[in-house]
Amino acid sequence: MRKMQSMFRNSSHELPGLNMASMPDLIFTVLFFFMIVTHMRHDDVKVQYEVPAGTEVRKLEQKASVVNLYIGKDQRIQVNGQLTDLSHLSSVIEAQRRKMDAENAEHLTISMKADRHTPMGLISDVKKQLQKSFALRVNYSGRDMNKEQ
Amino acid sequence: MFRRRHREQIPELNTTSTADISFMLLIFFLVTSSMDTDKGLMRQLPPPPQEEQRPTDIQQENVMNVTLDANDQLACDGTLLTLNQLTEQVMAFVADNPDEHVISIQVDRQTSYEAYYHMQNAIVAAYNRLRAQGGANGRSSESRQARLDGRVATDEGGANAYPMRISEQEPKEGGAR
Repeated sequence: MRKMQSMFRNSSHELPGLNMASMPDLIFTVLFFFMIVTHMRHDDVKVQYEVPAGTEVRKLEQKASVVNLYIGKDQRIQVNGQLTDLSHLSSVIEAQRRKMDAENAEHLTISMKADRHTPMGLISDVKKQLQKSFALRVNYSGRDMNKEQ
Repeated sequence: MFRRRHREQIPELNTTSTADISFMLLIFFLVTSSMDTDKGLMRQLPPPPQEEQRPTDIQQENVMNVTLDANDQLACDGTLLTLNQLTEQVMAFVADNPDEHVISIQVDRQTSYEAYYHMQNAIVAAYNRLRAQGGANGRSSESRQARLDGRVATDEGGANAYPMRISEQEPKEGGAR
């Protein structure tokens, strides 16, 4: 027996297709977010190192005034993109400082990424060179121990 | 005979693939992006020593001697101790004499950077804990008032109350390994 046609119920149960028109916009938004937050690493690191871990580490601000100083497992020293040695270190730092504009140069910070097993003798020699070139703000780079547990 | 020509319909642009293209870009940026932020212990080095500079006299009782030998053994005023003990000792020492104290660090040229880092970390931890307590103990009434008003971040007030006074000595020439 055929059911009687209701006045209210629509007999056709076809689902309308989901409108996908806004999908590209959505994805573009996410894309732009990542494009903004991402920063490509510009110096390729030529030394191998593994920084120590600490519990009291703080985030380093003002990326524009940071000079990266790497000390590798083999005790080679690299400043930003170029390998150097102790005797040239202060002149290299000076050159990096000259590349910055005045305000950043004033806040010049050395981010020291030294390998865990570097002897303190070398670290101390490096620090002496930094003092010589008046790069006195040093950030001993380290992993955050609290986050890893 | 001027029959109106049927208006040609411009077909709509097919935009189905835009999503795919932007997905690909998105995945590329997801993979290449490094969200890592540089973290570490901030330190201010002293300016290079001047020729005519004379060492300042500091009362011996205000000095805490922290040493690390070539075998990464940590000692404070001659007695061996662990990092946690160092934090506690530094806290007690600094709280005792916040304005005059000096923590003197003496390492060996053979000391590993990691041991040095952990020692620095322990000392910073002591200061941070003191500064967190700072206002509560009434060390600086001004900063406590500021905290109560919610004007100043806790660290600001505490930093004034407990200045970091650390002096690093010239590392000793290679000891026994």
